[in-house]
Amino acid sequence: MDSINCYYDKDNARWMAELKGEIDIYSAAEFKKALNSAFEEKIDDLYLDCKELSYMDSTGLGVLIGALKRIKEQDKNIYLKNLKPNVMKLFLITGLDKIFILEG
Amino acid sequence: MDEIVLVLPNKPEYVSVARLTVSGIANRMGFDVEAIEDIKLALAEACTNAIKHGCCDEYKEYRVKFVIDETGLTVSIADKGCGVKEKDVKAPDLENPKEGGLGIFIIRTLMDEVDFEVLPDSGFNLTMKKYMGV
Repeated sequence: MDSINCYYDKDNARWMAELKGEIDIYSAAEFKKALNSAFEEKIDDLYLDCKELSYMDSTGLGVLIGALKRIKEQDKNIYLKNLKPNVMKLFLITGLDKIFILEG
Repeated sequence: MDEIVLVLPNKPEYVSVARLTVSGIANRMGFDVEAIEDIKLALAEACTNAIKHGCCDEYKEYRVKFVIDETGLTVSIADKGCGVKEKDVKAPDLENPKEGGLGIFIIRTLMDEVDFEVLPDSGFNLTMKKYMGV
């Protein structure tokens, strides 16, 4: 995975990030670190643009589930958009499309 | 029938090598894009399990074997661990989602045949097959 750039959008009160490349057992640690450091600063909704995310597996899902558990306590959620068909399929077969909010 | 064998160090950075390899083989065999993505993901889940559960200080590698024949592609992943017990394979609990434990469920969903074998001396062997033209 290319480095993840997470920034806070004050106007809309949400975290924004673009995911690029591949999230697997190797890159998931960096992904986890980025989300943890964002939520340590502030717990809020997280919007992920997956337009350039070409691959993700259960290690990436694990990071997202961990992050969601943390912010759900404060009624916040994770929104994902522009998922490629293979990444969308991962959410569909695991049923996690019902837990995260998938857009377009 | 053709066979290709990869021996990979139990390091996360080389799982992408397994993905690239299987993607090349499946493409060569004529699988469509969706099937190639399924096989790639299933293999990566198996490699991730091998690294997390199947390696130790004594055994620093695991083996991936690809068998290509006219019926399809069979991939075996062998490590020195005791593997994941099949009874542990459950559909994700959406009321209480967990960070781990999805790997085998994903493999079972994406591949046509999946078998586990725990061998007393040699460890855990997972074999999965995707049929051609199904």
